[in-house]
Amino acid sequence: MVNDASVLQAKVNPRLLLDLIERVGAAARYGVVQVPLGDADHGQQEEVVAAWCERTGNELVEVSGGVAKIRRGRSADPFDGLLPDQIPGTRLWMYTNFDCNLACDYCCVRSSPQTARAALGIDRVRRLAAEAVDAGVSELILTGGEPFLLPDIDALVAACTAVLPTTLLTNGMLLRGRRLDALRRMDRDRLILQISLDSPTSEIHDAHRGRGSWDRAVTGIKIAREEGFRVKVAATLPYEQTHAVEPFHQFLEGLGIDREDRVIRALAHRGVAEQGIELTLETLIPEVTVTDTGVYWHPVSAEHADQLVTRDIFPLQAAITQVRHRFAEHRAHAVAAAQWFPCA
Amino acid sequence: MSEPLLVGAVAYTPNVVPIWEGMRDYFADTDAPIDFILYSNYGRQVDALLAGSIDLAWNTNLAWVRTVGQTQGACRALAMRDTDTVFQTVLVARAGSNLDGIESLRGKRLALGSQDSAQAAILPVHYLQQAGLDSDSVELIRINSDVGKHGDTGRSELDALRAVLEERADAAAIGINTWEAMGREDLMPGAFEAFWTSPTYSHCNFTALPSLGADRAGPWVEALFAMDWENPRHREILEMEGLRKWVPPELAGYASLFEAVETQGISIQW
Repeated sequence: MVNDASVLQAKVNPRLLLDLIERVGAAARYGVVQVPLGDADHGQQEEVVAAWCERTGNELVEVSGGVAKIRRGRSADPFDGLLPDQIPGTRLWMYTNFDCNLACDYCCVRSSPQTARAALGIDRVRRLAAEAVDAGVSELILTGGEPFLLPDIDALVAACTAVLPTTLLTNGMLLRGRRLDALRRMDRDRLILQISLDSPTSEIHDAHRGRGSWDRAVTGIKIAREEGFRVKVAATLPYEQTHAVEPFHQFLEGLGIDREDRVIRALAHRGVAEQGIELTLETLIPEVTVTDTGVYWHPVSAEHADQLVTRDIFPLQAAITQVRHRFAEHRAHAVAAAQWFPCA
Repeated sequence: MSEPLLVGAVAYTPNVVPIWEGMRDYFADTDAPIDFILYSNYGRQVDALLAGSIDLAWNTNLAWVRTVGQTQGACRALAMRDTDTVFQTVLVARAGSNLDGIESLRGKRLALGSQDSAQAAILPVHYLQQAGLDSDSVELIRINSDVGKHGDTGRSELDALRAVLEERADAAAIGINTWEAMGREDLMPGAFEAFWTSPTYSHCNFTALPSLGADRAGPWVEALFAMDWENPRHREILEMEGLRKWVPPELAGYASLFEAVETQGISIQW
């Protein structure tokens, strides 16, 4: 609503309201009309247009070049059509660290043994987990790098599982010695391990991840299951191979991995990957992702400036709100574009 | 399943189509299915009702008065919107005009909307006459922007307000719905102010002829009243049509318009 009546009184063009009513009133439902703001101060005119839209149940799509674009009625819920766990802010990803014992040739965040650690640390993970509950997050997901390289990985996981169901992504290759001990201290009822495995035999997996990595990943899957953990297996494949995975399914069947616990995803053109599907802010349903440098749109782009949402990790609720708002804006823009270019 | 009732409505905005498609979908799940026919103006619609081409007409208050006149009172109103029972005319001027009350229009210029708009032309003249003001006392500036649609588009009222801004008139007569759409005085303080508001009167209703028996009208009205604001599917239709619930007709609310039509010599036909 307008707050400073005395200022608006002097500078707002009252014809604007009449034009708004006439043009929007003549528009079809969900149609977008343009209303020029006139010569007066555009900021104040925009304030009036926004207040009018709010009051009358219409939607101010945008103001640019002195013209307001207004949708008759309000666009559909931007989250319509999404599965419950796809609604932005339902899941919170945390990059615990970026260093890794592998140097996969398609890693979306360029992790390798040479990569700096860049750890979130126990204090921030604990605070994020606590704020996540208040922000309505229902699942926490920890990833790296390779999280088991961290000496306090069990404490990080415990901070998460204490408040929410948690998934820990790992290559599964380090589950022995003190790291196996750390695994054993984790909450089997609240933690799922998601282990990367790209193929039913070693050739493809090792070609991307390094010789011997397939054997050790399979061993890791078996160890985790023997220790009583629910294990998901995630494969990253070139897009054209994602529809021919029956042998892989048969192999995972043999490992005792349930169908619902198999995640097969297309290779993304991100990080060090030289090819893969293109993922942009406009085409990705966001999954709020926190690293030591800020909040990102999606875990696949967690070290890409184009998908940085904010440098401010805290308060988490503000970051989630910002992601949701931008996602809603993108969808509204897509609808508006369809309105303006119906034949394109 | 009985033959659908045919409902007539005037297409004064593109949104009349989704409104009536929504109504048709709603009634398809009841014992009283409908279909609809759209007309370009209320004259055509009432003619169609009298000719038996449609079973029900979604009429403005002037269309109701004229249907009553042409049927010698035999037609009946079945239902209206809750908002139709409390319609009002508002007299609006530039803020700071020092107009206060309808009598303050003496010697001033009043912009009226379309000549067939009850809220923006016929009833304002009626209220002026009630206040002892005739055409010698107040200069009437008629703006007939959307004749035929009985002021439904609101365009003539907006043009009347533009006349005030351009100082071609001192005040404008508009419907309460247009005043609400402007956000009253709240959104643009210092632009316009209301200096008189009329008593409430009735606006639209569903009009039927005696040939529509109670066996068909009854289930239809019952289903109409069952539309529920709390039901999202119903609410979408109700919002577009501008109501929260359907209610029985308030016939007493048409008395002022009957009187105005008679006093002003407005024809009961087109």
